[in-house]
Amino acid sequence: MKRSASSRISGVWRNGTAVLLIIGLVFPVYWMFATAFKPTPDIIAEDPVWFPTNFTFEHFRTAFAAENFWTMVRNSLTVTVLAVTLSLILALAGSFALARMRFKGRKGFIVGFMVAQMAPWEVMVIAIYFIVRDSDMLNSLIPLTLFYMVMVLPFTLLTLRGFVAAVPKELEESAMVDGCTRPQAFVKVILPLLAPGLMSTSMFGFITAWNEFPLVLVLNKNAESQTLPLWLSQFQTQFGDDWGATMAASSVFAIPILVLFVFLQRKAVSGLTDGAVKG
Amino acid sequence: MKRKLIAAIGVAGMMVSMAACGSDDGGSDSSGKKSGPDSYKGQTLTVWAMDGSTPDQWQKDLTAEFEKKTGAKVKFEVQQWNGIQQKLTTALSEENPPDVFEIGNTQTAAYAKTGGLADLGDLKSEIGGDWTANLNEAAVVDGKQYGAPWYFTNRVVIYNKSVFKEAGVTETPKTRDEFFAALDKIKAKGKAEPIYLPGQNWYFFDGLTIGQGADLVKKDGDKWVSNLADPKIGAAMDLYKKYQSYSKAPKDKDEATPQQADVFAKGKTGAFIGMGWEAGTAIKANPAIEKEIGYFTIPGETADKAEGVFLGGSNLAVAEGSAKQDLAKEFLKLALSDKFEGQLAKLNGVIPNKESLNSNLAGNVVAEAAAPGAKVGGTTPLIPEWAAVENAPNPIKTFMTAVLNGKSNDEAAKQVEAEFNKRLAQKQ
Amino acid sequence: MTVQTERPPSGPADVVKETGATPGDPAARRRSRAAAPYLLLVPPVAVTLVFLGWPLVKNTLLSFQDLNMRQLIQHLTEWNGIENYQQILGSEDFWNVTVRSIAFTAVNVFLTMLLGTLVGLLVARLGKRMRVALLTALVLAWAMPVVAATTVYQWLFASRFGVVNWVLDKIGFHSMAEYNWTGGQFSTFFVVTVLIVWMSIPFVAINLYAATTTIPKELYEAAALDGAGPWKSFTSVTMPFLRPFLFATTFLEIIWIFKAFVQVFAINQGGPDRLTEILPVYAYVEGVGNQHYGMGSAIAMLTIVILLLLTSYYLRIVLKQEEDEL
Repeated sequence: MKRSASSRISGVWRNGTAVLLIIGLVFPVYWMFATAFKPTPDIIAEDPVWFPTNFTFEHFRTAFAAENFWTMVRNSLTVTVLAVTLSLILALAGSFALARMRFKGRKGFIVGFMVAQMAPWEVMVIAIYFIVRDSDMLNSLIPLTLFYMVMVLPFTLLTLRGFVAAVPKELEESAMVDGCTRPQAFVKVILPLLAPGLMSTSMFGFITAWNEFPLVLVLNKNAESQTLPLWLSQFQTQFGDDWGATMAASSVFAIPILVLFVFLQRKAVSGLTDGAVKG
Repeated sequence: MKRKLIAAIGVAGMMVSMAACGSDDGGSDSSGKKSGPDSYKGQTLTVWAMDGSTPDQWQKDLTAEFEKKTGAKVKFEVQQWNGIQQKLTTALSEENPPDVFEIGNTQTAAYAKTGGLADLGDLKSEIGGDWTANLNEAAVVDGKQYGAPWYFTNRVVIYNKSVFKEAGVTETPKTRDEFFAALDKIKAKGKAEPIYLPGQNWYFFDGLTIGQGADLVKKDGDKWVSNLADPKIGAAMDLYKKYQSYSKAPKDKDEATPQQADVFAKGKTGAFIGMGWEAGTAIKANPAIEKEIGYFTIPGETADKAEGVFLGGSNLAVAEGSAKQDLAKEFLKLALSDKFEGQLAKLNGVIPNKESLNSNLAGNVVAEAAAPGAKVGGTTPLIPEWAAVENAPNPIKTFMTAVLNGKSNDEAAKQVEAEFNKRLAQKQ
Repeated sequence: MTVQTERPPSGPADVVKETGATPGDPAARRRSRAAAPYLLLVPPVAVTLVFLGWPLVKNTLLSFQDLNMRQLIQHLTEWNGIENYQQILGSEDFWNVTVRSIAFTAVNVFLTMLLGTLVGLLVARLGKRMRVALLTALVLAWAMPVVAATTVYQWLFASRFGVVNWVLDKIGFHSMAEYNWTGGQFSTFFVVTVLIVWMSIPFVAINLYAATTTIPKELYEAAALDGAGPWKSFTSVTMPFLRPFLFATTFLEIIWIFKAFVQVFAINQGGPDRLTEILPVYAYVEGVGNQHYGMGSAIAMLTIVILLLLTSYYLRIVLKQEEDEL
């Protein structure tokens, strides 16, 4: 590629902007971790201590010492993984129909899911509470899993529809010509191509279910059936503005998602683009 | 309001207590019939206590003795103030509500009206003969006993000894004028903020209104309405404004944002008005501050009568929906017995529910400063409608900020009147 | 990651019309084919109807009840007709909150889309290393759980020890040294907006970048052959290609930002003076905070209606377009 002087200048410009953006995007995340590792006097110093020089794990100790911490970790993981997996399975079937088949009422289904996606769950908490209470299912992970599954289902389904549609139809057809039935063609040809799509779609579900707070707050009062957002909120009040403990708890809470995202996004984006280039 | 409630009810120290209190037919404080150790075997009692209310040692000893006495187990569940009302309301509607729970003294009336609290009349006649009368007031609604008074606390002035000394203040102020004079000296010295007082330390303001003998609400026909335009409230607000003029703190924030103890911890603040436990927060932020911290009573107009204070406190209540009400009452009898009530007072430095137990507070410096205030302390209006008023955004806080930002008392009262009255008129 | 476009990302892969060339085509097979899409849709639809529809119905019922602490605790059902709705619709507060919610959504969606698009286009024009760095930064910001993010922003903008005030003070705005961000309506919204835009840009940018990579190079080459400059090829090739993405993303951002309960509530609980309450926060404060559950349910219903109205334009486009497509 040839490079003129002007394009080099605009390259500098672009990279400069990118660097500023990176700082702006990452700083809040960095500051969370940095604060978590600083001793309290450094946190409330007149001049900010930009790098935690006096490392301390004190705040993390406080955070981990909370009762039932590991139970909540287990609950959060169980509920999140189950909800996301179930909604992926349900969504896959539906998205295939919506992306690949012609039938009456198709657009109605699509719009229906779009509307379902708008449901303001936070304000329906009391209605859900009544339902769960009257079904005698309080303090259980089952209703949480089911409701989280439905919370993320419309988005998952509609998004997957795009991924399914992106898989060239010819691949499927040639598989069918080779003697596969349609379901077989789906499993052998489409599913592998959908892997990145499934992964990136699942991230959204994961983050939604992982964060959910108002519902579990009112449904599960037994500490044994609570999830991590409740653990996190416990620090915010217990310590008032004790930013060290709060940031330590936030860090612990954020890490699984950050790791998952960085890991999956790489694959998902590259998978998507690869697919696009080949397709 | 949650954090403010922690501040209101948290663990402070205090010593003596109210003067003349009704029933002193001492000696009737022992539990009556004793149940055999096996009568409740296999049962588990669930107790909700707020964060910080139950010291480990107390909880451990009490659990052991309760088990010995009744054969039943106790499960303590520590609750956060954040969202507690909603949590409690829903819990009381469930099949297995907490059998015993801690409830703020000012919230008791509202919950009594919902039918969620069991009548504790027989418990009162059995063990409550010598409960301090004005502490018990909040647990009685329409003549019925809906809770048992548990523990109480109030605010003091927490000050920085060297800041006071450097400014030439050698003795702790005994009257309001002396206090202002001291603050003037610190201001003149110019090295420190004389006092840290945000615009919305509403429980301090409540104390000032109690000191002025003012009422926050008044009866209009059969409804409660705002009384903020009352000149006595105005006098309390004038005092607040005067105190606040010595501070750079935000006029529209309360003492929890930022945590006032953290500000104080930097050593550039003369004093702040807070609960005894806040000193601990300051020491955590800056261990060096520990030797500088001192306490004194919020001074009143004259040296013989301290400034009014808000008496925060908690009652213990039993859920009407509990299937184990008898066991729950057994628990209350033990938890409120002289032994455990006294131990709680000693460990947490809180006022116990009867005067005879105040000896447990001896030697507690914070308690010594808090004691005179408690004598003249009071609460927020004890009406069921009150709970709605303190929900964020508390209209009284809005009122305070408006006055501090230059509105007249009348204008500010008018500004929040509609919201205030609306909340007072809300159906329970 | 892709967005839900009303047109699939790489251009419709459809239009291969079935010509009945399928070998051996008995009626039975055709019938089972006709039933297949419905069978596939039954599970997700059923699940949605049960677990979303049921709460909605329940919520509707509650909105016609006088439901406060007492009724909730004693399991009482006290119908009060349309009284809740009358009260809400008759109060000035509700309309103020509604207008505020719409303005809030508009400003935030506009900023998010504009900045997100610009960042997305920038990513596409960066060298490999810088691109990976920027993508990683975007992903980090995106992945921050909202509960953690709001906490961090409260800390960044804290009036005494917050970094933002310190920096402003150092660069010359001394009056900002202890500025109280949550003291005013505008400044509170400013913090919330920075938070929301920061959280939302990555989704838009990453998707847009992914979309640009699917634009066939030949299109640019053809445009270049026609003598189009960079701007011309941007407007004639890039933009038309990205339009469906922008539409779909805007739709999603409207939904998400309109429902941004956690961010607004956590930063300042809708304060000062309830001046930053948006509809979901209003519903929560009235319903759960003040324990007027019936009233809260009614506000929730109205919130749903307003959101439907706001997005009805897009939904109609979808209805029309899908028709042409398959």
